[in-house]
Amino acid sequence: MRIKGGVFLFTLGTIALLGMWSFFPIYWMIVSSIRPERDLFKTPTFLPETIDWQLTSYQNLLELTDYPLQFMNSIVVAMAVVFITLIISVIIAYVVTRYRVPGKTMIVGSMLYAYMFPPLMLAIPLLSIFATLGLSDSLIAVVLAHCTLTIPLGVWMLWGFFKVMPFDLEEAAMVDGCSRAGAFFRVVLPLSLPGIITVSIFSFLLSWTDYVFAFVLVSSDTNKTLPVGLASLIGSFDARWGELMAGATLIAIPLFLMFVFLGRYFIKGLAAGAVKG
Amino acid sequence: MQGFRTRSDKALKWAFIASLSLILLLVLLPVFHAIQLSLYQSESFISNKNWVGIANYIRILNDAVFWRALWIGLVFGFFTIALQVFLGIIFALFLDRSFPGLPIIRGIVILPYLLPTVVVALAFQWMLDGTLGLLTIWAEQLGLGRPSWFENPYLAMAVIVVSSVWTWTPFVTVSFLAALQTIPKSLYEAAKVDGASLWSQFWHVTIPMILPMLMVIILLRSIWMFNKFDIVWLLTKGGPSSATEHLPILAYRRAFLQYDVGGGAAVATLSFLILSVLILIYFHYFPLEEKESSN
Amino acid sequence: MENHKELDVLTMQANEANKDRKTQKLERRDILKAAVAGAALFAGGAPAVHAQQKTIRFLNAEPSRDSVKALRVAAAEYERISKVKVIIDTVIPDDAYNKLQASIAAGTPYDIGTLAFAGHVFILADAGKLVPLNKLVSKHKWGPRILFPIKGQNYWYPYDYNFCWMYYRKDLYEQKGLKVPTTWEQMAENAKALTGDGKFGVAQPLGNNAAAQWMSLGYMWADGVKMLDDNFSLVIDNPTNKPKVMAYFDFMKKLSPSMPQGMTQALFGTVLSQYSSGQVAHAPYAGRLMEVIEDKAPDLVSKTGFFMYPDSAGKGQAINHGYDGWVVLNTPMKDESLKFMEWFTENQYINFLHSAPLHFQPPRLDVYDDPRWRAHPYVEKHADLVEFMKSFLTRKDVIIRSVDTEGPRVDLRPAKMFETFAITEGLQNVVYNGMSSSDAVDIMAKKYRTVL
Repeated sequence: MRIKGGVFLFTLGTIALLGMWSFFPIYWMIVSSIRPERDLFKTPTFLPETIDWQLTSYQNLLELTDYPLQFMNSIVVAMAVVFITLIISVIIAYVVTRYRVPGKTMIVGSMLYAYMFPPLMLAIPLLSIFATLGLSDSLIAVVLAHCTLTIPLGVWMLWGFFKVMPFDLEEAAMVDGCSRAGAFFRVVLPLSLPGIITVSIFSFLLSWTDYVFAFVLVSSDTNKTLPVGLASLIGSFDARWGELMAGATLIAIPLFLMFVFLGRYFIKGLAAGAVKG
Repeated sequence: MQGFRTRSDKALKWAFIASLSLILLLVLLPVFHAIQLSLYQSESFISNKNWVGIANYIRILNDAVFWRALWIGLVFGFFTIALQVFLGIIFALFLDRSFPGLPIIRGIVILPYLLPTVVVALAFQWMLDGTLGLLTIWAEQLGLGRPSWFENPYLAMAVIVVSSVWTWTPFVTVSFLAALQTIPKSLYEAAKVDGASLWSQFWHVTIPMILPMLMVIILLRSIWMFNKFDIVWLLTKGGPSSATEHLPILAYRRAFLQYDVGGGAAVATLSFLILSVLILIYFHYFPLEEKESSN
Repeated sequence: MENHKELDVLTMQANEANKDRKTQKLERRDILKAAVAGAALFAGGAPAVHAQQKTIRFLNAEPSRDSVKALRVAAAEYERISKVKVIIDTVIPDDAYNKLQASIAAGTPYDIGTLAFAGHVFILADAGKLVPLNKLVSKHKWGPRILFPIKGQNYWYPYDYNFCWMYYRKDLYEQKGLKVPTTWEQMAENAKALTGDGKFGVAQPLGNNAAAQWMSLGYMWADGVKMLDDNFSLVIDNPTNKPKVMAYFDFMKKLSPSMPQGMTQALFGTVLSQYSSGQVAHAPYAGRLMEVIEDKAPDLVSKTGFFMYPDSAGKGQAINHGYDGWVVLNTPMKDESLKFMEWFTENQYINFLHSAPLHFQPPRLDVYDDPRWRAHPYVEKHADLVEFMKSFLTRKDVIIRSVDTEGPRVDLRPAKMFETFAITEGLQNVVYNGMSSSDAVDIMAKKYRTVL
């Protein structure tokens, strides 16, 4: 009994440490954003002595940047990226696993090339390509650029899923009179739902947190995304630590909320699919 | 495995070709363009270019700065991946059990991964600020003096390693957690019946089952960490005195700041080639298609 | 017509966003509408050049609220009288050149841009991307070292000097019975005397960045050090200059215990923060420091004095050079751009300068006598500072230098030298790594030679 108790405490202790390690920098960030400015220059205490209920740092931040607009831009872009990524990844992964395709490994391998070049060097040629298409300084360009980051990962993960899914289920459906596409929608898709959710979440995150492409491909203030907006504060003279922390907090909180609700799908999806990958 | 016979097959085939073309175009065209840039000498992306062939490569390969950047990139990559994997496994092992509040803890554990790099960099810069940073003040109170976080090359490297590990370990943790949850309990039972200790169980049951996942994780994280630009640039800009200047930063510096576009592109291409070679070696030992026989 | 409407929605949203936050309601529907409209517009591949309304795109690199406001107001006014729309995009100064470059490389260049380095002007002009502004420039008289002609043509229209000098706390000087330093020795002693109790004597950035090269080299320039001769050969390590640079490195090492921690991370904003919060007693900066303390630490205003960087012997002084200006790019809209610039520099120049009345030191001499400029409350209140700043333009005993303007004329070589940050590395080597100043100078010179 005692041993069990000891192990339990040890586990609890470690998990608490884990939580603190992960959360402390964020806690500090949030706390710094709600302290009155002069407190930031004094020796800090663990819990804030006074809380600036007027949230001056946040007010200043909202005056300096266009947070709501940038937030919308980031969301719109991320959702478009998820949508396009899913369609394309599913098509490529499915065809590669179910049909005879020459150079299969090479195709999947060549997708990795997107990751192997420093993104900044790719961003400028991409800008030229988009400009010739008439898409420069548009969020569509950002969406497409993000897809180059998300599709390889999506193909990789879904390929793992489809590869181990036995063909019998689809065959059975087709014997029952389904077309290929029908079998796909009725049998394959529902089974690979966890994987699809995982790919969606990864794609969303990759797009949401991207800075390089969003910065190079977009110039108008109206098309900026959140990371670009926050980064542009760093060089300005009007923003101090309080405002920067406020900006960082505003980006982090929605993500955290989103994950508390969607978290378990994420892990389930990884469990079911990524292992095989 | 079959050919494209029916009509819906053909439709799928065209969809496939269209999708593949789109992604390959968007990926390969810029890569070719960047490689092409490395064969010219130019002061900016818009100045006149002079063809120099491989002269940029010869110049870069002869420059000690390149080799140092490569070494720093390997050091940075090695430490971050090793720590991410090590800590990731440990965290996953501890989280692989049910207790009240698990979803919240899991949410907290993955939070670092959700943050844009800009936010992470700001959070760490704030904690490490030379006069006002919390960690600086704690270090002082512990009697370590005021550490020169960013002036000391070893500390600067430690800062970028720790912040990278903090940010990206959750990816490993969650992946391992998922993998752990697919290991059938029966295997552990059997091992216990055979009298295996905890450590033995871990080594003989857990590790083999998560090995495939482990290999994929290491591959992906290696590529990503080797090319990580944002976090290093935002925290140290490659300093102090190029102590944290790895290949992506060197490429950026050359092309965008030091009026040497060809040189920067050459560095990027060399980095790309080195990475390709490493990956080919990796695939040789851990091929993708190991389970292909079942299909 | 359609394009015009959709463009309007976008700019309307942008203008809305800049108004008073409390009364603004950004409906999600409207944003989505605008986003879709914007996407449709740009996907249609029709930048408004082809539409009925003419549009000029202006890249601004002064991100402070007031400067952006001044430009937007000017743009709105210009549209009212000329029906030409001017779209203002704002980036931080560090990003301006790359943004401009990227826009040109992509085939959608800005029509007017802002630049802060003569080397960047040189590159763009050399590549044929700029339109000469001789007609515009020759309308007025200018201060020294600001026009940077390239092969006899003026490609840029400066809007400010940003000289860097030293500010100090007069009240603390009085307390400790100190006098304004005229030599390095005195400077080091004063800084030391004002260090203690958690406060520091001086903040001198020492990182590999533009802030350090603007704020910390003044002492060296004061001693008459030259980096390049008239043939663009490196002379910083010749028998005349090397001992002076060595002495300067040693002086900075001596000064360093009086500096707060983290000087290699210090940027422009850091120094402003530290001085305005009373953490340091001396701070290098230009007019902006005074504006900042008027805003955030008004009790320090009357306690703040200023002096130029002293030299080692008490014989001379220096200020570090800094400047900003606009360029007109060679685009299909260049005639419209020129017309706008002509109107803007005649009618809105002073308004723009007033967005940072002390920091944007006028490079055009007529502005100093213009009652409109003098009418700004800060210009009136800080008449002594303004006189101090104006005197730089005429005094013969003040050295004005910067790394990127070394040499007899605008050239890429000093610009490349600037980007190597070899001198800040030398400083770090001596101050933090215990290297001898002689070795540090040699390493620095070697690095400079690789780009010359």
